[in-house]
Amino acid sequence: MIFKRSLPVRFRDFRLSSKLIVTYLLLTVIPLSLLGYISYAQYARSVEEQIGEYMPKFLYQANADIGKHMNELARLSELLFNSDGSLAILRREKYASRSDVNRDEYNFNGFLTRTYVNAGNPDILGVFVFSKGRMYRSVKTDFRERDWEDTLRRFGEKAEAAAEPRILLPKDMDVHYGNGIPYVFLLEPLFDVDNRKVLGSMLIAVNLSFIDEILHNFETDERADLWVTDRDGYIVYHTDRSRIGQPDLRKPDYPVHNGSFRSMEDGVSRLVSVNESGELGWTLAHSIPAKALTERTDLVRNVTVLVFIVIVLITSIIAIYFSWSVTRPLKKLSSLMKTVERGNFEVDLKVGSGDEVGTLGRSFNSMIGTIRELIRKNYQIEIRQKEAELYALQSQINPHFMYNTLETIGMAVEEGERESVVEMVTLLGRMLRFSVSNQSPSVTIGEEVQHVRDYLTIQKFRFEDRLTFEVVQELDAREYHALYTPKFILQPVVENAIKHGLERRKTLEIHISVGREFGARSGKTDLVLRVRDNGPGIPEEKLAQMETMLRGAGFEGRSSQFGLSNVNARIVMMHGPEYGMQIHSIEDIGTEVTIRIPVMHTPEETEQGERGSRHGDDPDADRG
Amino acid sequence: MYRRLFLLFTMMAVLAACGRGHNGAYEVVFSMDGAANPESANTKDEADHKPYRIALVPKGVEIPYFKFAAEGAQEAAGDYGDEVIFAGPKTAGAEEQIRVIEDLIEQDVDLIAVSANDPDKLVPVLLKAKRQGIKVITWDADTLPAAREFFVNMVEPETLGRHLMDTMALAMGEKGEFAVMTGSLSAANLNEWLKWIRIQQEEFYPNMKLVEVVPTNDDVAKAEELGRRLLAEYPHLGGVLGNSSVGPPGAAKAVREAGKAGQVKVVGLSNPNLMKEYLKDDSAQIATLWSPKKLGYLTIALAHRYLSGEKPRDGQQIDKAGSIRVNGDMVIMGEPLDFTKDNVDQYDF
Repeated sequence: MIFKRSLPVRFRDFRLSSKLIVTYLLLTVIPLSLLGYISYAQYARSVEEQIGEYMPKFLYQANADIGKHMNELARLSELLFNSDGSLAILRREKYASRSDVNRDEYNFNGFLTRTYVNAGNPDILGVFVFSKGRMYRSVKTDFRERDWEDTLRRFGEKAEAAAEPRILLPKDMDVHYGNGIPYVFLLEPLFDVDNRKVLGSMLIAVNLSFIDEILHNFETDERADLWVTDRDGYIVYHTDRSRIGQPDLRKPDYPVHNGSFRSMEDGVSRLVSVNESGELGWTLAHSIPAKALTERTDLVRNVTVLVFIVIVLITSIIAIYFSWSVTRPLKKLSSLMKTVERGNFEVDLKVGSGDEVGTLGRSFNSMIGTIRELIRKNYQIEIRQKEAELYALQSQINPHFMYNTLETIGMAVEEGERESVVEMVTLLGRMLRFSVSNQSPSVTIGEEVQHVRDYLTIQKFRFEDRLTFEVVQELDAREYHALYTPKFILQPVVENAIKHGLERRKTLEIHISVGREFGARSGKTDLVLRVRDNGPGIPEEKLAQMETMLRGAGFEGRSSQFGLSNVNARIVMMHGPEYGMQIHSIEDIGTEVTIRIPVMHTPEETEQGERGSRHGDDPDADRG
Repeated sequence: MYRRLFLLFTMMAVLAACGRGHNGAYEVVFSMDGAANPESANTKDEADHKPYRIALVPKGVEIPYFKFAAEGAQEAAGDYGDEVIFAGPKTAGAEEQIRVIEDLIEQDVDLIAVSANDPDKLVPVLLKAKRQGIKVITWDADTLPAAREFFVNMVEPETLGRHLMDTMALAMGEKGEFAVMTGSLSAANLNEWLKWIRIQQEEFYPNMKLVEVVPTNDDVAKAEELGRRLLAEYPHLGGVLGNSSVGPPGAAKAVREAGKAGQVKVVGLSNPNLMKEYLKDDSAQIATLWSPKKLGYLTIALAHRYLSGEKPRDGQQIDKAGSIRVNGDMVIMGEPLDFTKDNVDQYDF
């Protein structure tokens, strides 16, 4: 469970999915189960209450029927008064002879047999009349005891004076029927209403099995008990015959005389309904296990529970899926945000849905887009500035070179070499114009090569035989003037070669080639410019250092390698890292610098595609 | 949050507890105790009512029939814990009875049960009693219905009248002259019976002739004298039918004295105790009656019930008085009994 006392987590700090699940539980499962439970409990209760309400009414009816039947049986004693002969026998005080006595007894017993025992009344087990010390009788079933006649005779002497009708239970009598049938005795006083005298009493042994029939109308459960107790709580009738005659010990505690109540018996909850009849004072009781009542409803309950579980499962799956579908894009979003936090803006959230999460994703995407754009803009502004700076630095003609060239011109003037002077001045002029005129960072390959050629020519005037150079052109003439290259990429390399080469060597040969080659890194045909010299080469540590510097793409002012790294930096900036400069060098053999650029048919083309118009480029930035 | 959850679980626990009964204790589901069975409501709790004072007014206090009725009434008074005042004129007379009733109104009894000597003359005084808040019923002989609540009759008048005629015819072999001795000519019950006696004779017994109806006024001496007169007056007289309890013994005595026992048949309404000797020596043939004791008892029993707010119902079983029939506002106690020399010893009234 999510609620751990040891971990007092605040709900609002939970994960969203937990919140959703908890909310779902609170909103669906708990109310549903509560509702289900309450309604089932209420249902079971109402079934119980219905039975509890209906049963006493039934019992009342049944009890009334029993009472009515008992009354009918009791009133059988009145049949005596319809028989003048029998009445005369009972009214007779004295006899003259024994034969008279016996005749009367014979007649009276016959009357009893005809009227009661053979009259087709199945409930009468026997009839006994006690009067003036005499006993008349007619029995259907004999008692268990051998001497029952004497016992009854003795009983009759006491019972004769009974003024009130009474019901005697088997326990009240000293004679018993042995066949397990439920029975009671009705003791009815025989009152001569005409003479206002008690004639004696009649004892009717009644078979209570008729109660079975009365209760039989009512379809009873096997597990239900029905029993009748008398006023004192003795069981006179019970569906379980073995209980007859015992006292019902619980009866004094019953909370109602007419109604129903729940009671616990031996750990079983039972619904007990009772009805006490006013006339006999008999209580008819019905007791049934509560389980039996709700049995029919149990199927309903089980089905309901099953359906409920299925519904909960389905809705749980839906809820989990739903929470997952909500949290999944959010998780993705948050992980992307983490990525962005780490500085990678190259992210794209795939947004499918049109809901708030989708909107959020789209907003995120557009935000990232905006950020990217802003970064790019700033970056590019920076690049432009750098470029401008580099370009400015680049396009400065090295003052040493100027100075040396002018000195060379001066010397040539002194020596009167007019042609050389004119050529040098022309070349210098052209170089200067190349430097300052064209504002574009790109020029045709022809122009670039021309510029290097001019530079080398001027240097050759100065170093004469110490420097030789050649330019190999592998492009056709049309391409030569139609393909573009960044400006000032060859001159710094050549300048470098001359500077280092002539410092340590007597002579230097510089070989420049321009051609097309397939580039493994770009996967296209590229332009490749090579500058090879036979200078002293570069020591290995130095070379590694230079490589690092080139890859680092940083540039630190006008160092000796400035020219090179500058060139490399600009190319990488413009065309991406797959282009640029490579240096191969073997000490004492020479150095080869390879510059790789894409094939460009317009001056504006770069790998990134878009290049704004140049700005921040001061035409007067040239220092010199 | 926790509190709410705690509450929720508590609620569930409580609900769950509701589903089960409390151990050992009984939990009432439904009770009808309040509206208990009507018969259990009035099981003889006689202790809590004050004894009623009931006046039993006979036609005459000297008449044996009414003495026995008073016996039965006293028995009932004992059974029900009431006080029964037996008061009436010496012999059957309406004026006497009115005086007695006036006196009883003075005493402010709860109920007056009267056997009326005259159905009309008694009405004003009975209405007066009624105005005083005294309940009035009649027994044995009725008044106009307006004057009383109900009438406790002993037998169906038609049944009795026709039966009396039948016993006369049986005794006389369905032919000959006979006379009727009635009580007072004004007594409603006697006149009703007489009517049916006449009807039965006209219907079935053309060879019989009713020669005269004479009133004894329920006076024993007068009854004997009348018997003698009738025997003298009608030498061919074959029978005398007594329509009230004083008649047959008087007639039988006159028949015996005249030595005409068995020759002039005597039948009619009278007590077995009065008729015993005449039946045994054939001075009288058949006496017909009911138990006046029972009638007295029943009257008081019904009076008591009526004062307790219970009217007589058809088929109602009255303890020690059998079941009654109710026809409109008339209660009928039962069937008449015939007494002959064979069974007359069985009865004691």
